[in-house]
Amino acid sequence: MTGRARAKSRGRARGQETTAPGASLAQGEPAPPPDQGQLVGRGRQSAPGHFSAEAVLQISAGFQQVKLGERGGRRRDYNDGGVNTRMAMEHVKESKSGTSGEAIRLSANFFRILSRPQWVLYQYHVDFNPPMEACRLRSALLYQHEETLGSARSFDGALLFLPKRLQNKETLLHSETRMGEKVQITVTLTNELPPTSPVCIQFYNIIFRRILRMLDMQQIGRNYYNPKDPLNIPQHRLTIWPGYTTTILQYESAIMLCTDVSHKVLRSETVLDFMVNLRHKTGDERFIDICGKELIGLTVLTKYNNKTYKIDDIAWDHTPMNTFTKADKEVSFKDYYKSQYSLDICDNSQVLLISNVKRMGPAQGPPPGPAMLIPEFCFLTGLTDKMRADYTIMKDLDKHTKLEPQQRESRLNKFVSTLHMNTNAQAELDKWGLSFDRELLKMTGRVLPGERIFQGSRSYEFNPMMAEWAKEMRGVPVITSPPIDKWFMFHTRRNANEAMSLMQTLGKVSAPLGIRMQKAVMIEYDDQSESLLRALQHNVTPQTQMVVVVLSSNRKDKYDSVKKYLCVDCPTPSQCVVARTLSKPQALMTIATKIALQMSCKIGGELWSVEIPLKQLMIVGIDCYHDTLAGKRSIGALVASLNQSMSRWYSKCVLQHKGQEIMDGLKMALCGALKDYMKFNNCLPSRIIVYRDGVGDGQLHSVVDYEVSQILDCIKSMGHDYLPKLTVVVVKKRISCRLFSLVTGKVTNPPPGTVVDSVITRPEWYDFYIVSQHVRFGSVAPTHYNVVYDSSGLKPDHMQRLTYKMCHMYYNWQGIIRVPAPCQYAHKMAFLVGQSIHREPSMKLDDLLFYL
Amino acid sequence: MGLFTPALHRQRHQFVIDFVKRKKPKKVLDLGCCECVLLKQLKFHREIELLVGLDIDGVQVKKKMHGLAPISTDYLQPSYDQLRIELYQGSVTEKDARLRGFDLVTSIELIEHLTLADVELFSEVVFGYLTPEAVIVSTPNSDFNPFLPGLVGFRHSDHKFEWTRAEFKSWAMKVCLQYGYEVELTGVGQAPPGQQERVGFCSQIGVFHRLGGKERYNMFDEDAEDVFSYTLLYSIIYPSLHDNNILRRVLMCEVVYWAEKLKRRWIAEETGERDDTYDLCQAKGEGGECFRASERHVDTEETQTACGAEMKTLVDQEKGDGELFWTHSQPDSEKWRRRVSVPLAVLWCCCPKVSVLSGSVSNLRLLLMDEPGVKLSQDGSAVLLNHQEQDLDDDEEEHRADFEDSGYAEARQCPPSAEPAEDWEANV
Repeated sequence: MTGRARAKSRGRARGQETTAPGASLAQGEPAPPPDQGQLVGRGRQSAPGHFSAEAVLQISAGFQQVKLGERGGRRRDYNDGGVNTRMAMEHVKESKSGTSGEAIRLSANFFRILSRPQWVLYQYHVDFNPPMEACRLRSALLYQHEETLGSARSFDGALLFLPKRLQNKETLLHSETRMGEKVQITVTLTNELPPTSPVCIQFYNIIFRRILRMLDMQQIGRNYYNPKDPLNIPQHRLTIWPGYTTTILQYESAIMLCTDVSHKVLRSETVLDFMVNLRHKTGDERFIDICGKELIGLTVLTKYNNKTYKIDDIAWDHTPMNTFTKADKEVSFKDYYKSQYSLDICDNSQVLLISNVKRMGPAQGPPPGPAMLIPEFCFLTGLTDKMRADYTIMKDLDKHTKLEPQQRESRLNKFVSTLHMNTNAQAELDKWGLSFDRELLKMTGRVLPGERIFQGSRSYEFNPMMAEWAKEMRGVPVITSPPIDKWFMFHTRRNANEAMSLMQTLGKVSAPLGIRMQKAVMIEYDDQSESLLRALQHNVTPQTQMVVVVLSSNRKDKYDSVKKYLCVDCPTPSQCVVARTLSKPQALMTIATKIALQMSCKIGGELWSVEIPLKQLMIVGIDCYHDTLAGKRSIGALVASLNQSMSRWYSKCVLQHKGQEIMDGLKMALCGALKDYMKFNNCLPSRIIVYRDGVGDGQLHSVVDYEVSQILDCIKSMGHDYLPKLTVVVVKKRISCRLFSLVTGKVTNPPPGTVVDSVITRPEWYDFYIVSQHVRFGSVAPTHYNVVYDSSGLKPDHMQRLTYKMCHMYYNWQGIIRVPAPCQYAHKMAFLVGQSIHREPSMKLDDLLFYL
Repeated sequence: MGLFTPALHRQRHQFVIDFVKRKKPKKVLDLGCCECVLLKQLKFHREIELLVGLDIDGVQVKKKMHGLAPISTDYLQPSYDQLRIELYQGSVTEKDARLRGFDLVTSIELIEHLTLADVELFSEVVFGYLTPEAVIVSTPNSDFNPFLPGLVGFRHSDHKFEWTRAEFKSWAMKVCLQYGYEVELTGVGQAPPGQQERVGFCSQIGVFHRLGGKERYNMFDEDAEDVFSYTLLYSIIYPSLHDNNILRRVLMCEVVYWAEKLKRRWIAEETGERDDTYDLCQAKGEGGECFRASERHVDTEETQTACGAEMKTLVDQEKGDGELFWTHSQPDSEKWRRRVSVPLAVLWCCCPKVSVLSGSVSNLRLLLMDEPGVKLSQDGSAVLLNHQEQDLDDDEEEHRADFEDSGYAEARQCPPSAEPAEDWEANV
């Protein structure tokens, strides 16, 4: 574990003794003290020699400390390498493959990497005498010996990698500095790395980045983009650069390059332009407040270097005329940019942006303070939440960026053929003895059998290709629904007609659904947020079952105030509808049906179910929402099933406090869920399956090391004789893996229910992919499931099928969704709290899906 | 080294940069560019239009050359300035016609790595053949060496010689005489107080200017045959508004942005609604004023029939149905006709960037003529925009809307099962 990864898993950092159930360091080698990991492996030497089985093991353990970087060396491992959870799970050691379903021919966005037979990467340790401080100087001195080292080499200041073996184990070289100082360099062979060693794989990634640069691609963040052929959406001042995400990793079958088409959204205006515009729109008083909300958390590019910075704050009291200390002199920002980059600052009164740069200062020196950025020189990247919520912007973006499967496939093929055509790129690969497959990886997956939907005594099938059953559900009563007797409908005078017709239609559609509904009390409110709130306060009582509010526009503040009042102050299930959606008579039936269903499940109705073959099972979904605006608070949500048919749920939201892990709060929520389960079933569940969503790249460590033990602690606290079977699954939607079906001879999306559990999975994990949803446009994205802890002994096949079944149970959509329903519920709740309520909802609503 | 602050090599580069700032050369050649450190600084000085580096060691150059590529923002906001960067592998003792006629050639700490015979060739190639307007040559001053602690012999093992001030001067004078230049001798790296007179600068620098003013080199000299002895390693053209394609693209974006903005304002005024969530105090400051003026323009244009009958009917129809449009109850057959026409003249005078980019209204029309991103009216006098791009056919809406509460935010994004397949976040 590197020092950084260690700091990430805060359980350890706080000195708590945790026994990692997933045993991330399976070799049992004692972990080094944290600061050793910081040193890019400097000083660490392991015995060289041809690699035996033990040597390989040792290498992969050693990789925890030996990391090479392009410069500076310290980077986060976004691929969650070194988490070896599979070996702790006895029942999947041999095989983690399922068996159900029919085989399907697929291709995936992976290209195999081929290296010469017997290819070995030689790792050397380089010592300088007298010692040289500057890394640049060290490489300059070393590279004076090209005739000995060859042109293929990689050196990070301490470690040297060569594709060839030097004649002797220890090579002495003599160099001279510009000042004529004689330096003796000792190059010692320390390791021979087989192609599968983690260092080698990291090394492939570095070479590959070099190659992308040769193709004149621009690096932004982790990916590379082609700026020469931009797509513009001028009405929103957006520019899109097409590019690629690339990762080279050891996958189940081979070392492969996983590459996907990616689009970078950039804004063709500077932050200063943006601020000036915003000030015109908001006026001076609200400007500071709104500007902070809009800008903080966004990433900017600067005019003078190729770095990206995240805006952490705005220095309202700083302008370009302020000074900073540079080489013991005070320089103003204005003069600095003029002299350094010949850039003139036009607006001397603009305030500055603050970015807390994470990089460390020069050796021994204090870490540098935050970077101050000049808005005039910064360009915004990505989308704000406001833009994401803007339907027209997203639609315009989709037009450019949603690629049909065959378009996507042909772009990927084009990319790899460009690699093969480019002579420079080819030369670099040759130098290291590497090459890529020319074609996308072909493989076989399985399509799980379709599920049957049960509603009380009736059940039906649906077209699995369409993955929804809205039509089939017509006229079939839901499992149960409490009668809706006492409820209100609030509307403005202008929308009185819409409200009226909504109520009539609700009456019409609810009876066939088996939902008993009395007429609502209609209440008119003035079109102002205070008067709506007043109307709610006057009318809603603890006896009120449901409140429906017809909003005149989709303005967020009104929605927020309704939700805040009815989720916290006066806990009552509520349903908001924008009048515009009710304005089309021909769509009203469909809309009213959906609203009726939603109202029903918000007050505890159960709509449908699928067959769940496991008894005494509790399924838990966890997700979090990061509120970058409100003091960077994160919100964690936990949703847990309460009955056999997975139709009732316990939901709890916790607001994270500074420096606290999201799981600390969710531990209490899980205890609450178990107690509630007890109330519903008179027993505790004998199996618990936790689906954990919202884990970022590189955070797997902390889930495995910290969260799992927190969950176990919580279970333990229920009683000493309570020993349920526990499974923890990390769910990931944002992955670059794509699957294409080759069934019809054409490249299409794989059908819902497609499972892949070999070839492109990771050998050290118990993981699988499921395509559960159907998309009408673009390419479908599979969801990745990584079982990081499992004491259930459940067969992989059953694990996969149960997961797929759970994707059928989201009551806000009569169809299959992308993640298990509890994850989507948790997401929905965290989003509502983070976006609108900003407080923990009342516990009176815990047993209801009030946030749907 | 620590003897000088800023470091000596920085001072040498700063010397060149100061020269560039003063004289504003357009074509600059750096001999012995090595890892392109000086070039990387010079590329920010956009008076330079052609920046070339030459080094005998191609591997060194290749290692760092990608650092000279344009950065993302160069593409996002292309400037008016043009810049091409080229890197060559080759020897300064050989001629290459591609490097003739530069405004400035720099040779920083280079000649001392040559044998004296090669220095002769160097002089002939640089001053006699390449014939740039100005040359900056720097080399160690051996008079200064006693002040360098611990130094025995030359400052670097690869140095073939280190000249005293007198030696440097005599070489410089000879060159001037032979090839028609005048020289000013100076340097960087001050000696300790009181010693400057005696030993001079640590690095001595000669700044040569060609005599005979601006008269160009003799292309059709006796040895006019074009020699190409260098290998081109790298060549990149920076995006510039002088490139017509880029200009049109930028202009199109600007025009569409402003036209849409004007349209929204006009519609808002027509229907008496405000389209924005920030509905406070509009029209503050300049930008707002600008809008006011332009809105009037849109109105008057349309009654003047200045832009042809077609437009008039379109806009008139607009006016008639203004309200209907908000309720979405218009028959489909009329949808195609609902267009807003924004005259180019209005755009030209209310958006400063458009006027700067295009120069004149007629030029603006010319530039937009074949641009697929913009739709012009028949006579090319106005930009046509669809009145309401938000029109969804009902079918689509029915499928998309999830009716999750309120229609705010998430509710607009299709079913959760079909979350955008494209991933924006992970890229940042």
